[in-house]
Amino acid sequence: MSQPAPAAAQQTAPPLVQMENIEKHFGGINAVNGVSLDLYPGEVVGVLGHNGAGKSCLMRILSGAMIPNEGTIRVRGEVVNLQTPHHARDLGIETIYQTLALADHLNAPANLFLGRELKTRFGNLDDARMMTETVRVLKKLNPNFKNLNDPVSSLSGGQRQVIAIARAIYFNVKILIMDEPTAALGPSETAMVGDLIKQLRKEGIGIFLVCHDMHDVFELCDRVVVMNKGTCVGSHDILDVTKDDVLSLIIKGELPADWVPRNRGKEQ
Amino acid sequence: MADFDRGALVTGWSFKPSSVSFHKLSALLTLALLIFAFSFGNDAFFTVNNGLTVLLQTSVIGLLGIGMTLVIITGGIDLSVGSVLALSGVMTGLSIKAGVPVAPAMAIGVVTGAVCGLVNGFVITKMRITPFVATLGMMLIARGLALQLTGAAPISRLGEAFGLLGNGSLFRIVEKTGGIFPKVVFAGIPYPAILLAVAVVGAAYLLNRRQSGRHIYATGSNEEAARLSGVLVDRTKIFAYTLSGAMAGLAGNVLMSRLVTVQPNEGVMYELDAIAAAVIGGASLMGGVGNISGTMIGAFIIGVLRNGLNMAGVSAFIQQIVIGVIVILAVYVDQVRNRR
Repeated sequence: MSQPAPAAAQQTAPPLVQMENIEKHFGGINAVNGVSLDLYPGEVVGVLGHNGAGKSCLMRILSGAMIPNEGTIRVRGEVVNLQTPHHARDLGIETIYQTLALADHLNAPANLFLGRELKTRFGNLDDARMMTETVRVLKKLNPNFKNLNDPVSSLSGGQRQVIAIARAIYFNVKILIMDEPTAALGPSETAMVGDLIKQLRKEGIGIFLVCHDMHDVFELCDRVVVMNKGTCVGSHDILDVTKDDVLSLIIKGELPADWVPRNRGKEQ
Repeated sequence: MADFDRGALVTGWSFKPSSVSFHKLSALLTLALLIFAFSFGNDAFFTVNNGLTVLLQTSVIGLLGIGMTLVIITGGIDLSVGSVLALSGVMTGLSIKAGVPVAPAMAIGVVTGAVCGLVNGFVITKMRITPFVATLGMMLIARGLALQLTGAAPISRLGEAFGLLGNGSLFRIVEKTGGIFPKVVFAGIPYPAILLAVAVVGAAYLLNRRQSGRHIYATGSNEEAARLSGVLVDRTKIFAYTLSGAMAGLAGNVLMSRLVTVQPNEGVMYELDAIAAAVIGGASLMGGVGNISGTMIGAFIIGVLRNGLNMAGVSAFIQQIVIGVIVILAVYVDQVRNRR
C-alpha cells in the first residue's frame, strides 16, 4: 500500500480549519452532536461514516450551506461566522457537492463561473474570456473535453464531475471539501481525481474527503475521521489503523477491543 | 435581436441547432406560415397598414410577455399581470385627475406595477408561498383595488396628452387634401411598438449579457445549485417579479392610453395570453429555459392569428379555440423532440 508520508511540517503549521463542538439539530434529531475537527495545510482527511451519520451535514456547515446551532469555526485561527456559501468561498473554502450542484440548462463556462462571473469593463458578462479560461482549466483535468457550449445536462457523468471539480479548484482554493467525488466516475477518471488530490496536497491545500471506498481512503488520506450517529467516534492517522479497524468504527462506532496502533504495534 | 441569442455569442453558426433555437425556428416557421395563409385569404392582410395594426395590437401582450418570460425562466409564474395592468392604469388616471401632469402620472402607474411585483416577490421568497398561489392572491387584490378606487366606473376625459402614448406614431406622413379628412400616406410607427422594441432589446440584453440575467437562468435551472454557488436566489426572484410588475404597469398605461379612458375591468385574462406567448416561444414552466425573442414570436403568432381570423370573419370564440390548440401543439412538439 502506498502510504503518503505525513510531512512533519504539517503538524507544526497552524491548522487551516478548527471546528469546535459543532451541533446541528433538526427538530428533535441531533444530526451533528458536539463534533470537533481540524485540518492542516497539505493534509487529506477522510470523513467516513454511514449514510445519515452526519458527515454531509458537517461538511455543509463548513461550506456555509447550513448554519450550526452551536459551536465555533476557526479558519486560519480566526473565528468565522459562516452564513452563506458565498462567505465560505471568500475564505477559500470550496466544495464539490455529491449532487455536483450544476445548473443543467447552462453550459460549462456559465456553470464554472456561476456566482463569480467575469465581466467586461462595462459590467457585461465576458463570455469570451470565461470560455477561454474554462478551456484552459478543463484541459488540465480532461484533455478530450469538447462541447463546452452544450448545456451540461447533455454531458456525461464524468464530464459533469470534471466541471464541478474545475469550479472548485479554479478560484484560489485553500480548503477543499469533496463529497464523494468519484461516485459517478469510471476507473480512469477516478485515477485522475486521485492524482489531482495528490497534487493539491503538494500545493498545501487542506482537503476533506467524504468517501465510501476504503481503497480510495487508504490510497489518498493522511488521516481518517469517523462519524457515527452524529458524533465523532475516532480520528486516527491512517498509518495507525487497518481497513478492519475503520470498518469497525463505522459500523459499531468503536475500535476492536484488542486494538493497538498498527505501526506502533509493529515497532514494539 | 439575433445578436442576443444564447450560444451564438461564442460559437457563431453551428450546424447542430440547440433545442432552444430549434423550437424558435419551428415557431418562426409557424408564424411565416400563418402570414402566408392569411395573405392568400385576404388582400388587405399583407399591407403596411395592417402590419402596423398587428404591431400595435400585439404590443400589450408583448410587454406582458417580456415580464412573464423573466418570471417563467426563474421557474415561477405571474398570474397577476392582467390585474396589475388595470391597477396601474387606474393609478395613472387618478393621478391625472388629481392634477399630476401626464408623464409623471404614467411613471406613478409603472411604479405601482413594480410595487405589486415587489410584493409578489416578497410573498414568494420570504413567506415561502408558491408563485401560483402568491400571484393568484395578488391578481384578486390588484383587481379589487382597481375596482374599489374607481367605484368600478371608467375614468374618462383625461385629456389629449394621455392618449398620445397609445395612439401617436413616429414618421406619420399626412397629405393635406383640402377635404375634411387628410389623406394618410404612411400611418407611422406606433409609439407602443417602439416602446415594445426598446423593452425587447433591454430585456434580451439583461438576460444574456448581464450577471443578473445569468442568475435568473441559474435560479430556474437548479435553485439549490445556484444558492450553493453564491447566487442570491431570493433577490434574483424578487427582481424578476418586480420587473414583471413594472412591465404590466407599462402595458396598462399603453392600453388605457389607447382607449384614452381608464377601465378598471380591463386586462382580464391577459396573463394567460402572456403565458401562452412565452410557452409558444419555447419557455419551459419548469424553469431555466426561455428567451425574449421566442416570446416575441409567440406574441406575434397570437397577434397575427387574432388579426387574420378577425379579417376572415371568424368569431372571437373560435379564435380562443384555435389559440388554445396552438398552445398545446407548441408544447407537444417540444416534448416529442426532447423525448428523442
